[in-house]
Amino acid sequence: MPDAGPQRQRATGGASQDAAARSAAAARQADHESIDRLTEELLPALIAKLGSTHLGELEVREGDWHVRLRRPYGTAPGEGRRSTDRPSRVQPGHEGHGHGRAAPEGYRASRGSGGASGATAGTGAASASSNGTGAPEERNLDKSRAIATSPAVGIFQPGSRAASGTRVRAGDSLGAVNVLGVPQDVLAPVDGVVGSTLVEAGMAVEYGQELIRIELAAAQSSESRS
Amino acid sequence: MFRRILIANRGEIALRILRACRTLGVEAVVAYSEADRDSLPAQLADEAICIGPADARRSYLSAPAVISAALVTGCDAVHPGYGFLSEDETFAEVVRAHDLTFIGPPPEVLERFASKEGTRRLLGGFGLPTIPGSEGMLRDDEHALAEAERIGYPVLIKPSAGGGGKGMRMVRTSRELESAIKICRSEAKSAFGDDSLYLEKWLDDNRHVEVQVAVDRYGAGVHLGERDCSVQRRHQKILEESPTPALSAEARAALAEQAVRAVVSAGYENIGTLEFLVDREGNAFFIEINCRIQVEHPVTEMLTGIDLVALQIGIAAGEPLGLRQSDVKINGHAIEFRINAEDPAADFRPGAGVIERYHAPGGPWIRMDSHLYPGYEVPPYYDSLLGKLIVWGPDRETAIARGRAALEELLIDGVTTNIEIHRALLENDAFLEGRMTTNLLDRVGGAAFLAAAAAGARG
Repeated sequence: MPDAGPQRQRATGGASQDAAARSAAAARQADHESIDRLTEELLPALIAKLGSTHLGELEVREGDWHVRLRRPYGTAPGEGRRSTDRPSRVQPGHEGHGHGRAAPEGYRASRGSGGASGATAGTGAASASSNGTGAPEERNLDKSRAIATSPAVGIFQPGSRAASGTRVRAGDSLGAVNVLGVPQDVLAPVDGVVGSTLVEAGMAVEYGQELIRIELAAAQSSESRS
Repeated sequence: MFRRILIANRGEIALRILRACRTLGVEAVVAYSEADRDSLPAQLADEAICIGPADARRSYLSAPAVISAALVTGCDAVHPGYGFLSEDETFAEVVRAHDLTFIGPPPEVLERFASKEGTRRLLGGFGLPTIPGSEGMLRDDEHALAEAERIGYPVLIKPSAGGGGKGMRMVRTSRELESAIKICRSEAKSAFGDDSLYLEKWLDDNRHVEVQVAVDRYGAGVHLGERDCSVQRRHQKILEESPTPALSAEARAALAEQAVRAVVSAGYENIGTLEFLVDREGNAFFIEINCRIQVEHPVTEMLTGIDLVALQIGIAAGEPLGLRQSDVKINGHAIEFRINAEDPAADFRPGAGVIERYHAPGGPWIRMDSHLYPGYEVPPYYDSLLGKLIVWGPDRETAIARGRAALEELLIDGVTTNIEIHRALLENDAFLEGRMTTNLLDRVGGAAFLAAAAAGARG
């Protein structure tokens, strides 16, 4: 599903970069390290926090940075959200198959929804901005992660490419969900690096269940800087 | 008895089966599509599992998805409800191959009764009067024209699979037949995945009467009376009642006894419904058997006090019927109103939307089977049934009076419903006098029927 990937903004040629931009390089490098750290450490913790509360929005400030997470409810229209892609309800006594239904599903890449909405479909969940650099990073963070979901109801078997740290392309098979003995591929929704696997091998999964996180590589983030 | 049942359906019937499971002390798992994530049955179930996207072909109609869901949730039986996979013998066979029980007739029984046209001949052989129809499925237009000529116009084109009026057309000439057959094929294909059609003689001003039967694995069978389903729009029932005003008490008993004798002889098993057309003179002709629980089953439950879904589950579990015919007491009169999300003034166009307000009527002898709740979003992907209002009275007149009061009380805001049609029906002379035929509404159309009722109320 190549169309499910985020539209990466390629660098527009080093030759056109002016001196002012070069002088700001060191500052940007620092920004980048911050983005990476946010992506790796802060965001997952914040998402978990938001998921376990009834809060609609969370904001954290640190130095020049602030990160704001919002639940998908009541977000502006036109974010590529399908009506069928509503977040799971949180229901007492309904644990499903051990997957945390309370986690914000904003990061779940909706399969089949095209173009730029791929990694961010159903989101509005996270936005981060730097006082120093502005818009491009904000968008990059939005697309910093996507989730491969289950194509069917059955038993999950991660494949060799599901190992954390594996570089994958959109459409790569990360494993399979076994439906009555017939494996159905779990596909990477975007290009990136495999992060954590959310469901153990051999566990029952339902259709659309979140299985494997895909982190967008930091290198790709820097490519998009202009 | 089963330990855990997978309910492979949605809406009010999923809720009805869930309630039967609770009564029986059986755990219930609801299999739902993404469009039904917030549905009441999915919320009330012991466990709910998403089996696919909104598109029914990849969820409620997908045998692998349903069976896989049953296996991974540890169920030992699958209840298919009505529609979807409920009469699919291949599905029933695959269910059994995975050591699960299909709640309905066993696969070989379903197979024996799979062809409507074949069933007509089978039960005709056991003494049921049957409607004249085509020999076998229609191979092509030429075959259809020849068969129609032999039977004599008007004829009804019917799909071999499914029900609910889809893919069904009445035609009076060969030209109508040729154009209608294409529409019927494509409707049947998209609704049931099977485009085989057959023809049936069309009786003008016919009434639709059906007999409810229950037969256990050991060949013991009873009937549970009949239901009149003559009030239809576009071949789809919207109001059912029992006893039928079309037949005398003796004729009703004779028809029901004849029906149960024939299906027991033919080796039927589990609950089922034999549908008959009744002509102006009161002659009944068998048309088809439905091998599943039916939408209108509550009418019979109100009259007999027998939980048909629990009975169906028990029979599938191999339990003896535990009923003799003399145990089945038919008491009083019941009417069911199907409440649909559709606009009677716009040719019964189905609608969808968010239920803003919902109030179900109550009081003695009033029953509302519905999956609605305020804030529920009626998805556009499935049939338009929002619920069923069932009323009981010691006689037809009292039942009608209670129906009027209950319909007055029923409140559904947010989607257009057919409640007005039911209110109008209860003021319609043909209905009140028990003379209604299946063309009562279609003859004039929904809008004109409502207008006439309004004019009548003023005059």
